[in-house]
Amino acid sequence: MAEGRFSLEAYEGILTSHRQWTLMGHSMALSFWVMLLTTIVGVPLGVLLGKTNLPLRRFFIFLFVIPLLIPPYITAVSWFDLLGREGLLSRLIGPSFAGMSSRFLFGLPGCVAILFTTFLPIPILLTMVFLRTVNPRLEEAGKLVSGWRGILKGITIPLILPGILLAAMLTFILSFGEFGVSNFLRYGVFPVESFTQFSAFYNFKAATAAAVPLVLVTFVVLLSEAGFLREKTFRLRPSAETEDLPLIALGTSRNGLFVLVTLFGFFLVIVPILVLIVQSANIQAYAEALSRAGDSLLRSLFYAVIGATSLTLFGFFSGYLIQTKTFRYWRAIDFTTIFLFALPGTVIGIGLISLWNTPYTNFIYGTLWIIILGYLAKYTALTSRITVNQLTQISPAMEEAAQVAGAGWFRRLIFIIIPLARRGLLAGWIVGYIFSLRDTAITMLVYPAGHDTLPVRIFTLMANGSAQLIAALCVMLILATLLPAGILWLIANPLLRKAKR
Amino acid sequence: MKILRMNSVTKFYEGTRALKDLSLEVSESERIVILGPSGCGKTTILRLVAGFMAPEEGSIFISGQLVSQDGHIILTPEQRNLGMVFQDLALWPHLSVKGNIAFGLKAKGVQKQERETRIHNILQMVGMEGYSKRKPDELSGGQQQRVALARALVLRPRILLMDEPLSSLDLELNIRLREEILRLQEELGFTLLYVTHDREEAFGIANRVVILSKGRVEFDGTVDAARAHLTQ
Repeated sequence: MAEGRFSLEAYEGILTSHRQWTLMGHSMALSFWVMLLTTIVGVPLGVLLGKTNLPLRRFFIFLFVIPLLIPPYITAVSWFDLLGREGLLSRLIGPSFAGMSSRFLFGLPGCVAILFTTFLPIPILLTMVFLRTVNPRLEEAGKLVSGWRGILKGITIPLILPGILLAAMLTFILSFGEFGVSNFLRYGVFPVESFTQFSAFYNFKAATAAAVPLVLVTFVVLLSEAGFLREKTFRLRPSAETEDLPLIALGTSRNGLFVLVTLFGFFLVIVPILVLIVQSANIQAYAEALSRAGDSLLRSLFYAVIGATSLTLFGFFSGYLIQTKTFRYWRAIDFTTIFLFALPGTVIGIGLISLWNTPYTNFIYGTLWIIILGYLAKYTALTSRITVNQLTQISPAMEEAAQVAGAGWFRRLIFIIIPLARRGLLAGWIVGYIFSLRDTAITMLVYPAGHDTLPVRIFTLMANGSAQLIAALCVMLILATLLPAGILWLIANPLLRKAKR
Repeated sequence: MKILRMNSVTKFYEGTRALKDLSLEVSESERIVILGPSGCGKTTILRLVAGFMAPEEGSIFISGQLVSQDGHIILTPEQRNLGMVFQDLALWPHLSVKGNIAFGLKAKGVQKQERETRIHNILQMVGMEGYSKRKPDELSGGQQQRVALARALVLRPRILLMDEPLSSLDLELNIRLREEILRLQEELGFTLLYVTHDREEAFGIANRVVILSKGRVEFDGTVDAARAHLTQ
């Protein structure tokens, strides 16, 4: 809109500008390489962790998931602290190495490497989840005529192919919408353009126009997912015989593979965290971090708790409607939540501003609720899918029995469905907490004055803060993400498990 | 007056016609068993009567009251005052035996004192007095059946619907529980609509047998007549 009239001026600029096409090419290349590499590495790793007798599998799963739980630009900061011109390695090896590693980091390879680390858990986890849906009897039938290599190639992998394709699609669209890493490593992609037009030039028209291709690409990718994969991946019903899932005995290669996975996990996950810890190993750095961003940290925790609770509630109800199909337009709810999740955070932020920045809605736009609405828009898909999967495992007869006994919908929900789905609700709350806390893109665009969160404060301090301060803030954010969620899971999960018995 | 009347009911299920122009009348205190192979539409009848689904064509009356007609549910399951024992029993795992039985009474607003009395009586009737605090997974298969039965009967339903409830039990327990169901039916006088694919189970429970084939009533008569029909 321009001067109250709809205008195509900004869109013409996009279609005719060489720069815009270059950005689109960069975005596509980045997403493609991340998708390809995460699939090539993540699927075998998922098979190894979900289907073999590799030692410490649970620990490795936790380890590889960590990068997904923290904002990707934090990983970029840690690699920068290691490989940058003034990084730890350049101090150890010398400036010639630093020049080479810095060139690698700033550009497509560096962005691909960091987003690879971030999104690698997606194919790992989806491969593991889909492996659990394969009926063990099908593999046992194959075992009569073939070894595990043949079974994996001929039976298991073809059966879980929809899951692998789903993971590839997810990593593609999530990489396509990621802006923090590309922004930090100065690699021009579309989400950065949209963000810069808004935050640096406050050109709302250009920012909106730059967001449109992102919406279109997301829409096209999701439509193809709906067309080709949805019926195959919609419900991840674990095989009835998950208790006796046959594991592949690795035999003599077990120890070798264990060392390989350990080294891989060490370099991919532990090294970046260690770098941040080493870089920030100074009491003063933490004192400064607390004095400059202590309020943001507290706000982050508070908003994450509100966000997680709202996400659990909304996710539960939307998941319930999707799973039970009681609402006629359940497919529309499902598609909308997934579409919003796939949409870049910058686009959601711009959408929220367009919608709520009016004199009549300042009670939303000028308060923390604009941030919470952003969390709800972006992450309801996660809690909704967790609910759908949890409810799929509850026999419909449970609710029907309550219905015949005379219980209305609300009573059934409170006394039957929610207690039976409580572990899913807990998992949903923790996922909601983590993703609310790590959110950068939406919060960065919509936060009202005095409402910035820790990821946003770190992002803004990166321009002029010392490396030590930034590293200390990053460590604080990692602890704020992992510690409360981990402690809650460790305490509540065994209690719920016990109560269920 | 007939307690249940199904008039020219047609029901499609997952694209195929599960019931074709089916009519059925059930009198009070009758023990009617619907017998037939898997996929013949017998569970669909129970689900239609319970109100979990509506017939595309035809109408269903319970105690003379229209409950569903031509794709519309007029009375929801919770308003029909029926009892149901599901094939997988559907005992709520997070509630104790007492909690399972009390749930429906609470939903219907039965006062605490009366609730306690009714729970005590029904547990005594099914021989589960000492088990009220146990969770369903702490019970044997037969005990779980008794709790499911108690949960349905404590509400004093107009009709008790049973969907192959004994199919997972061994023969000895199956026979013993059949006898218990008969005893309870004689004591309480409820109408029983029972679905099974097992002939002996059907003949052991019914005083009237309806044989279903491909969604149509193939036979409707006494147990002896059903035996004769099946040996032809």
